[in-house]
Amino acid sequence: MDSRKGIKTALTIVTLLLAAAVIYFGDSHLSRFQIRILNLAAIFVILGLSLNLVVGFTGMFSLGHSGFMCVGAYTAAILTMSPESKELIYYMEPIVPVLKNIEWPVIPATVMGGVVAAIFGVLVGFPALRLRDDYLAIATLGFAEIIRIIVTNTISITNGALGLKNIPSEKSLWFYWGICILTILILKALINSSWGYAFKAIRDNEIAAEAMGVSVFKHKLLSFTIGAFFAGIAGAMMSFLITSIDPTMFRFLFTFQILLIVVLGGMGSLTGSVIAGVVVTIAMEWLRIVERPMHLFGMDVPGIPGMRMVIFALLLLIIILFYRQGLMGTREFNWDWVLDKLGVAKSKERGVS
Amino acid sequence: MFGKKFLTLVAMVMLVAVALVGCGGGEEAKSNNAANNESDVIKIGVYEPLTGINAAGGEMTVEGIKLANKLYPDVLGKKVELVIVDNKSEKQEAANAVERLVNENVDVIIGSYGSSLSMAGGPVAKDAGVPVIGCSPTNPLVTKDNEYYFRVCFIDPFQGTVMAKYAVETLGAKTAAIVQDVQQDYSVGLSKYFVDAFKELTGDENAIVAQVNYNTGDKDFSAQLTEVKAKNPDVIFAPGNFLECGILVEKARELGIDVPILGGDTWEAEEFLNRVGGLKDIYFSTHFTAEEPVTELSSTFLTKFAEEYPDKQVNAFAALGFDSYLLALDAINRAGSTDHDAIRDALAETENFQGATGFITLDENGDANKTAIIKKVADGKFVYETKVEPK
Repeated sequence: MDSRKGIKTALTIVTLLLAAAVIYFGDSHLSRFQIRILNLAAIFVILGLSLNLVVGFTGMFSLGHSGFMCVGAYTAAILTMSPESKELIYYMEPIVPVLKNIEWPVIPATVMGGVVAAIFGVLVGFPALRLRDDYLAIATLGFAEIIRIIVTNTISITNGALGLKNIPSEKSLWFYWGICILTILILKALINSSWGYAFKAIRDNEIAAEAMGVSVFKHKLLSFTIGAFFAGIAGAMMSFLITSIDPTMFRFLFTFQILLIVVLGGMGSLTGSVIAGVVVTIAMEWLRIVERPMHLFGMDVPGIPGMRMVIFALLLLIIILFYRQGLMGTREFNWDWVLDKLGVAKSKERGVS
Repeated sequence: MFGKKFLTLVAMVMLVAVALVGCGGGEEAKSNNAANNESDVIKIGVYEPLTGINAAGGEMTVEGIKLANKLYPDVLGKKVELVIVDNKSEKQEAANAVERLVNENVDVIIGSYGSSLSMAGGPVAKDAGVPVIGCSPTNPLVTKDNEYYFRVCFIDPFQGTVMAKYAVETLGAKTAAIVQDVQQDYSVGLSKYFVDAFKELTGDENAIVAQVNYNTGDKDFSAQLTEVKAKNPDVIFAPGNFLECGILVEKARELGIDVPILGGDTWEAEEFLNRVGGLKDIYFSTHFTAEEPVTELSSTFLTKFAEEYPDKQVNAFAALGFDSYLLALDAINRAGSTDHDAIRDALAETENFQGATGFITLDENGDANKTAIIKKVADGKFVYETKVEPK
C-alpha cells in the first residue's frame, strides 16, 4: 500500500487539467504552423508508443508498423470523404458502390481505422508470431510491403497509385493531443496490469515465462494487436492532418523513423517514447535553420539541403554511443520520484515503478 | 583506438557548433521579418524535394528557379527574395514546408516536383489563401478542387492523348499494347488516357491488344514482354521511370520486338539514353527541346543555362522551374500588388504567357494548355521529331 496514493491521484488530475488548459490556450494563441507541428508530434508519439509496446515491452522485433498505419489511414479516409469528392477523385475506375455513399464523422472513422488495423494485426500475427527475432522482423516487413502493393492494385477501392485527396481536415489540438493523452493513459494502465507483467516476462525470457504459466502466444498476439490498433489510429490521424494520402507514404523507411523514436526514447519506456516523439518532430523542423544561407564566424555559408539530417544523425550517433539505453532506458516518469525530490510526505514505502 | 575523452570532446564540439549555427539562423530570420515589415522585398517561397528519393528532380527544378531569379531579380520595383525549403520527398514534410512558407509571409509559392508532394502541400496553401504555381506535378488531382493551385506543365491526360494521336496519325498504328508501372500515378494516368484516345482515334474497341503491369524496382520484364509479343501489336506504350523503362526497352529489342515503343517525359534522362542510345523507333513526349526553340525566351534560357551551369545538361525540369518563376513575376506585375487574392486572380487569367517551354494558357482548372514536343532516340542522342499543338 502506498501512503501517498491520494497525493499522486491529485497530482495526476491536476496535470491533466493543466494539459487541457495548455491545449485550450494553444488552440487559440499559437500560429497555424506551430499547431501543425505539434499535431504531427502527437501522431509520432502514438506511433512511438505503439511500436514500443511491441518491440520494447514484449520483445518482438516487428517492422510492419507502416503497414498497419496504411490500413488505418485508408480506412479512415474512405469512410470520411464526401460522395462528391469520391466521384471527382476516382476518375480512373469508379469506387465500388458499397463505399460510395458512406460519409462518417471524423472520430468514429478514426476508431474504425484502428479496429480494421487490429483485425489485420490478428490476421498477420496469427501465423507470423510463431517466428522470433530477425525472422519475425522479415515476416512483418514483408507484410507491410504486401499491404502497400494490395493498396496500389485495388484501384476501385483505394484509387491505386493516384492516391486520395480532399480528406476532411482536422486541425484542432484537442483532436490530436486528446487521442494522444488517452493512448498514454490506456497503455500505462496496460503496462501496469497483469498483462503488462506477462509482456515483460516474455521479453526477458520467453522459456522462463512459459514455465511460470504465462501463455506466451496469447500474450504476444494481444500485444501485437494492440500495437496494430494504435498504429491504425495514428494512420487515420495522419490522413486527417495531411488530407491526402498515397501508398508511397507508407514505405519501410517510415517504420524506421518510428523505430528511431523508440530507440532514442528507450526501449521499454513509455515516457521515453513521448519525449523522443515530441523532440524528434520539433527538432526536425527547428533544424531547418541550418539549411539556410547564413553567416558563421564572419563567413558566408551557402545553405546546404540535408544538413539537418546530418546533424540529426550525428546527435543520434552520440546518444547511441554514450547512452545505449536511450534517453530513459526502461525507467518511467512517476510521481514518487518527484515527491522524493521535493521531500513531500516522506514515507518508507516506495511505489513499484 | 579513440579514447572516451576524445569522443566526448568531439561530441561537445559538435553540440557547440549546432548551437552556434542555430544562433546564426535565428538572427537571419529576424532580419527577414524586419525586411518584410518594410515590404521592400517580394518573397517567393519554393518547396522542392532536395533530399530523399526525389532529390534529383527537385535539384534540377531549383537550378532553373535560381537562374530565373538571377536574370530577373526585380518586380514592381522591389527585389525578389527566394525562400527555398526542402520537403525531404515526404508528404508530411511537404505539408510542413508549405505551412512554414505561409508562416514567413511569402507572396507566392512555387513547387513541387512530384504530384504526391504537391497534393500534400496544396490544401495548406488553399486554407491560407496563398497561390501556388506547380512546375512539374502532372497528376490531374493536384489542381482539381483547389482554386489556389496552378501549374506550368501539361497534365498526364494530355500527354497520353498526344502520344495516342502520334501513334495513330503519324506511325499509322492500328493496335497497341500497354506496359505500365502500377505503382506510379504518372504511369497509370498516362496509360489510361492513351487507351481512351487510341480507341477513339482508331474507332476500334479492341485496339488495345494487351495491357500488362509491373512494379517500380522490377528488373526482369521477360514475362510481360513475351505476352506482348504474342499479341503482335503495332506499337507499345510504356510510360514509367527511366530506370525500369531503359531495361524494358532494351529487353524488348533483345526479344525481337521491333515495333515502335512510346513513352512519356520521364524518359528524357541520361541514364535512359545510356541504355537505349543504339536502338531505333523509340519516341516520347516532353515539355521542351533545345533544337527547335519554341519561343524567344527558350533561346535566352538555353544560352544562360549553359553559361551558369556549364557542366550540366539542359533539362525540362529546370525549364519548368524557370517558367514558374517568370509566371509568378508576371502575375505579380499584372496584379500590381502583393495581395494574395489579386495574384491568384491574375494567375487564373494567364493567357499566351511566353515561357521557355512554350506559350502557356491556364484553363479553368489552373492547368497549362501548351505545345507538346515529341522526341526520338537516334544515334545515341535525343532528336527532335515534331511538335503537337493543344486542341
